Amino acid sequence: MKKILKNILDWLELKVSYADLRLVQTEKENIEVENGILSSYNVSTDRGVGIRVLANGAWGFAASNNLNKVSLRETAAKALDIARASALTKKEDIRLAHEDKHIDTYITPITKNPFQISPSKKIDLLVRATKIMLKDKVKKGEGSFSFYKTHKIFISTEGSEIEQTIFESGGGITAYAIGEGDFQKRSYPSSFGGDYATRGYEFIEEMNLLENAERVAEEANQLLAAPPAPEGITDIVLGGSQLALQVHESCGHPVELDRVLGKEISFAGGSFLSLDKLNNFTYGSPEVTIVADATVPGGLGTFGYDDEGVPASKSYLVNKGKFVGYLMSREDAFKLGLPSNGAGRAENWNRIPLVRMTNINLLPGNLELDRLIGDIKEGLYLDYNKSWSIDDKRINFQFGTEIAREIKNGKLGKIYKNAVYQGITPEFWKSCDGISSEKYWNVWGVANCGKGQPEQVMRVAHGTSPARFRKVKVGASK
Amino acid sequence: MKDINSGKELVNKIRSFLKNYDFEIIVSGGKSELTRFAESYIHQNVAETDLNLIVKVINEDRIGAVQMNSIDDQTISKNIEKAIEVTKITPKLDYHYRLLKPQSYKIKSKYSEQTANFTPLNRAQLVSQLIKEVNKKEYEAAGAFKTEESTILVANSEGVFAFDQGTKVDFNCVITRDNSTAHTSFMDSDINNFKVNKITDELLETALKNVEQIEIDPGVYTVILSPEAVAEILNYTGYTAFNGKMIMEGKSFICNNQDKKIFPETITVSDDPFDELTMPIPFDLVGYPREKIDLIKDGIIEDGVYDHLTALKYNRKCTGNTLSPEYASFGALPFNLVMKEGDNSVEEIISSTKKGIYISRFHYVNILNPMSVQLTGMTRNGTFLIEDGKLGRAIKNMRFNTSVVDMLKAVDMISKERQTKAGFIGATVAPYLRTNNFTFSSKTSF
Repeated sequence: MKKILKNILDWLELKVSYADLRLVQTEKENIEVENGILSSYNVSTDRGVGIRVLANGAWGFAASNNLNKVSLRETAAKALDIARASALTKKEDIRLAHEDKHIDTYITPITKNPFQISPSKKIDLLVRATKIMLKDKVKKGEGSFSFYKTHKIFISTEGSEIEQTIFESGGGITAYAIGEGDFQKRSYPSSFGGDYATRGYEFIEEMNLLENAERVAEEANQLLAAPPAPEGITDIVLGGSQLALQVHESCGHPVELDRVLGKEISFAGGSFLSLDKLNNFTYGSPEVTIVADATVPGGLGTFGYDDEGVPASKSYLVNKGKFVGYLMSREDAFKLGLPSNGAGRAENWNRIPLVRMTNINLLPGNLELDRLIGDIKEGLYLDYNKSWSIDDKRINFQFGTEIAREIKNGKLGKIYKNAVYQGITPEFWKSCDGISSEKYWNVWGVANCGKGQPEQVMRVAHGTSPARFRKVKVGASK
Repeated sequence: MKDINSGKELVNKIRSFLKNYDFEIIVSGGKSELTRFAESYIHQNVAETDLNLIVKVINEDRIGAVQMNSIDDQTISKNIEKAIEVTKITPKLDYHYRLLKPQSYKIKSKYSEQTANFTPLNRAQLVSQLIKEVNKKEYEAAGAFKTEESTILVANSEGVFAFDQGTKVDFNCVITRDNSTAHTSFMDSDINNFKVNKITDELLETALKNVEQIEIDPGVYTVILSPEAVAEILNYTGYTAFNGKMIMEGKSFICNNQDKKIFPETITVSDDPFDELTMPIPFDLVGYPREKIDLIKDGIIEDGVYDHLTALKYNRKCTGNTLSPEYASFGALPFNLVMKEGDNSVEEIISSTKKGIYISRFHYVNILNPMSVQLTGMTRNGTFLIEDGKLGRAIKNMRFNTSVVDMLKAVDMISKERQTKAGFIGATVAPYLRTNNFTFSSKTSF
């Protein structure tokens, strides 16, 4: 197959200023269980080639699932036609930040290949976990696993040849306690499908689903009987799972340089982190340091190379509260005179690389969790996302969480349901006065980040440990 | 799969591989092309051709599904073997799985040769025309322009055979100059209905009014929602309240309100593939013919929509809303949401409003409380004060936390005019409406 791809690239070489071809083959297994009954078992195989060309100073991209030589040649010709059409409105020629030629391979290090674990073993684990949760008012216990093996070949007219095999595993369980006119849910290890990582089946085993199922169900039952969260301005501690989504929405997206440049303005929106703010804006308190790091072992945003052939790297986005960097593709990095930091990612063969998050990590502080909570006289501990929304410049946000716990005189107290908190991004991060230590730090996989038209769903991650924020507006959904 | 005959050949091929098993198949494919522009130039421009085959093998109430995008004999055979193996090891369903019997279909998707043959150059020329016009007023344009030709085939071992081809034009655009913005969207099957001059004029008219935005305080307001905003509210309501599976599980607002008159008599919402403005989906993904399903009729809560599995499990009637096996656990969604028109012109709605707010569009809507259908989100690209019957000063964007139930209870005017907007599955047809109960909870800085 690589030979056919090279033939196509050779054919394109004289007609373009740049071209790359990506062959992507994905194997996926998805298992869903409800109340001990298998509700869905799907396996899929998917493959195709995407051809991206820079011709006449403009982009063209065409993709096909038909991998024979004639069809791929037609696809390449289509990409050229599209580039010519794009050139009709061009203001200047597209240029790319320099990237060295790379000839390399990368394979996700895993201990247990999830595709070699029998389906019945995986199903049985979910059957048992979901049955355990069916206690009292918990009328629905659901669990799911997803496994991906993605093989990618990237070749470009700059001479790069990169082959990668990425494994991803993930899943989780959720208990639904259902009462008259109300229901409450609790998830583990994280909400909306659980936790994900570029790891093997060992990641699933380490979740200890069976050991946690009963507690999760008990909390769902407690939530059903709990009062709504109080309204007002108070100090909060965000647990790691919720904080991951807070980082995602209020830092990960606004540092995407394509948003800043207006390329997403009609759909996903723009960003308040305009170019004049780079190295010149206080994003948060000195406690807050956020990095993009695609090299973290096991992170869902970990890889060898992005989909433009740029090696995985670590770069600072916010350093001790100061805004210092964007996520960049090669095209957008060129506009700032910078090299790409390896954030050009495509969901599949039929999508172009866009600026996407990798692992966007809030670095840990040095506090014990007891101390973080202990310094709060009155407040709330909030965790596990239930609802999220943020404006199109990523300033005004509101999140709902599955569970809230009262903090009184430095101790955790009763449970509240339907908690929400609102804020303005830089004010919120400036109110952060404590982050717990590495002992509590975890890289949370977020498997459903949407962006672009046609839409691309990307799997990304966020390293977080619980953190404290002062004087935050809280309330309850009604 | 070029045509109905190649579809039949494919079904026969799968039948030959699965002689001793019941099966359902879904084949979907086609070509989709999208031209995206921002900062007044085309920055992304893509095309794809693909074909997906899903084979669901049913073996004594055990189901295994496989999906592939290559349909050579070897790939199909290998995947089908995998599906058969799965049915041998998976536990049985807790209900009896029955296959649908052959059906007849009353409608087809809309199809336009011109849309199917629209080229990247054709799209670029229209985008270029729009850009030139808005640039004259010093605005920049950003958006996406998609043309698509799609084919779908649903069949099973009982003889169900449903084949359909359709086309779609999906366009959206935002123009900006400093803080002045406007948005529009267009959805149709026929590219000949896309009038770039009209769209450009409407964008500029809104944007030129949307300047020097003032701040207002959060609170409960009378608002007039555009069809774009109404469609978004309907889409989320359909998703969270009218999914039959959630109703059966006691997780929907509908559970305790069925057959009750909750809303004014003017409120009628249905899943209606026969509405003249919608883009009909003729059958669901097990081959049920689509019907008109009343969700809210004359203010009375009727019922939700049901997929094949939920209907079998709870002994209900499937309403023709089955999703792909990949989303089977979710339940069902309305495919063609339609809100009935009212008696008022848009001008009458505005001129009879002493004090209110006009909302062009929402951003990042999400569900806060499914049982009260409380939604949150932001306004975007044009929010205006209405004072003494006139559209007045533009206002900065606001966050709303509002219950759709409370909002619909307080609707007192609905427009005759309706527009076709994007739904979660197909299209959503929505009018303008005025409600006297809409809660803004906070504001933002632009």
